[in-house]
Amino acid sequence: MKQSWRIAAFAAVIAVLVIALLPYVWIILTSFKTRVDALSDTPIWLFTPTFKHYPTVFLDKGYLPLVWNSAIVAVSTTVLSLVIGAPAAYIFARHNFKAKEDLFFFFLTTRMAPPISIVVPLFLLFTEIGIIDKLIAVIIAHTSFNLSLVVWMMRGFFADIPREVDEAAQMDGLSRVGMFIRVLVPVAAPGLAASAILCFMLSWNEFLYAFILVAFEGRTLTVGIPGLITPHGTLWGQVAAVAVIATLPIIVFTTLVQRHLVRGLTFGAVKG
Amino acid sequence: MTVEFKDVSKVFDDGTLAIDRLNLSFELGEFIVLLGPSGSGKTTACRILAGLEVPSAGRVYVDGRDITDLPPRDRGMSMVFQNYALYAHRTVYQNIAYPLRVRGTDKSKIDALVRATAKMLDIERLLDRRPRQLSGGEAQRVAVARALVWKPKICLMDEPLSNLDALLRLQTRTELKRLHNELRTTFVFVTHDQEEAMTLGTRIAVLNHGRIVQFDTPRRIYRNPATRFVAEFIGRPAMNTIEGEVHDGVFHAGEIRIAVEGQPDGPVVLGVRPEQLALDKPGATAGVPFTADVVEHVEPDTLIFLKNGDVSLVLRALYDVEGIEAGDQVRVRFAPETLRFFDLETGDRRP
Repeated sequence: MKQSWRIAAFAAVIAVLVIALLPYVWIILTSFKTRVDALSDTPIWLFTPTFKHYPTVFLDKGYLPLVWNSAIVAVSTTVLSLVIGAPAAYIFARHNFKAKEDLFFFFLTTRMAPPISIVVPLFLLFTEIGIIDKLIAVIIAHTSFNLSLVVWMMRGFFADIPREVDEAAQMDGLSRVGMFIRVLVPVAAPGLAASAILCFMLSWNEFLYAFILVAFEGRTLTVGIPGLITPHGTLWGQVAAVAVIATLPIIVFTTLVQRHLVRGLTFGAVKG
Repeated sequence: MTVEFKDVSKVFDDGTLAIDRLNLSFELGEFIVLLGPSGSGKTTACRILAGLEVPSAGRVYVDGRDITDLPPRDRGMSMVFQNYALYAHRTVYQNIAYPLRVRGTDKSKIDALVRATAKMLDIERLLDRRPRQLSGGEAQRVAVARALVWKPKICLMDEPLSNLDALLRLQTRTELKRLHNELRTTFVFVTHDQEEAMTLGTRIAVLNHGRIVQFDTPRRIYRNPATRFVAEFIGRPAMNTIEGEVHDGVFHAGEIRIAVEGQPDGPVVLGVRPEQLALDKPGATAGVPFTADVVEHVEPDTLIFLKNGDVSLVLRALYDVEGIEAGDQVRVRFAPETLRFFDLETGDRRP
């Protein structure tokens, strides 16, 4: 009985993995296929690889700076969201003030409207203050929706840390700010790591705001992809090449903080 | 060198009056215990001294200097918490070293101090562990080490033994007593456990409803409780109290008659410690008749719960009373010098 359960569970895991990874494998393969192979009616698994898509799109078409733009936007957004969101979450976790829960809920409402409904006013606003077509515009837009995520996630993490830890830190000679930075941030590191990954992913993969708010030098990778849909047809090989490169930072970043992420997402479930 | 609370009050946001015009002063070097039932304000008083709570009114002075508005870090005090509050992401060594590091002590000195303190608390072998790998008793020792390592003027302890099991509590209690004797640091120790208070304190402040009811040495608090509340709170079992009335130098309560010379007529509460009651020899006709209700052998003592009508007493015999069983008729002697009297209305002690 137990053995058969194990086999069933194993089969389920395999099935999920296949479903999840097949498109990714497909993209990787496509990025090495010629145009003819890529558009073949039946999927071709064995083919003579071509390595021209990567240099073509990143060097000849100048997509390399887009990687850099995406990185600046995602990293800045993540840092900004954590720097502003974590202290806010701490206040929500520790202090009582008037209309606290209303304000907390208000953070969430910023995510309730469809992004498309906000993008036009945002465009006009940013044009007015002269930051349209600059990375900072995208960073501000992304931070605005990531902030609610950080505040909502981190409140629970800070609430799980005994209040006495704050107080012990103050007794040990730290100011309130020092206590937060030197004691609470390290203790909440797993939660911060989990929040950071989500912020980074959401910002890195975001298309709509980036597409509307920047057009030329400031384009991010996701915005670059539609540029490969030409009047002569979609350049699938190059699209796939960009897509592959676009997934790499997420994989690297997630691997780096994975240890914290697992701890972070199960925080509180297992008492330390 | 003194610490002084002057008319300190604390009202919480929800309107609870935690401390009501508290006045208290003590010398540095003492072992002060704040004792009281839950909700008596003892923890709040301790936290106000630490600077973790801001009083609603009144001032706190150390050596005549007003420290009411100082942040905790500038008060030269440390604190041990009931749940230890160790830094989970640091080793024991780093936990103990932390207040020294924050205060900018020389690196070379830090190591010596940490090791000396660890030795004093017998936790040297734990220095490389993480807090989650410690037992409750070990964690509490680490917390005490962290609080003492930088030699603060005052070490505050908020129910530090309450999370420990019984045996460990006793051991740690003795340990704290020894530490105080060695270091002569001022300890302010919050507890609801009267036994802890009696064994540890050089002086005990008994709190009730946010006020200090009595502030004195353990011995005087035990022998001469200032109010009925203190009488019934201190001692295990606590002081017997009987509500009754005095007529012409005789105390009446139900069938009971006890000679109480010099007491004015009128209602009164009579108090007497269980060990100061004496059983009369079998067949004696003096003393007050009681029925033994329950007999408990708490070796080496014997507790005899007595009844006479509505009046219940407990008598603690420090000698062998094997002959007595539940249901036996006994006679009890009340020695006049052991009797205490409290006002029935206010609970205050009468002369």
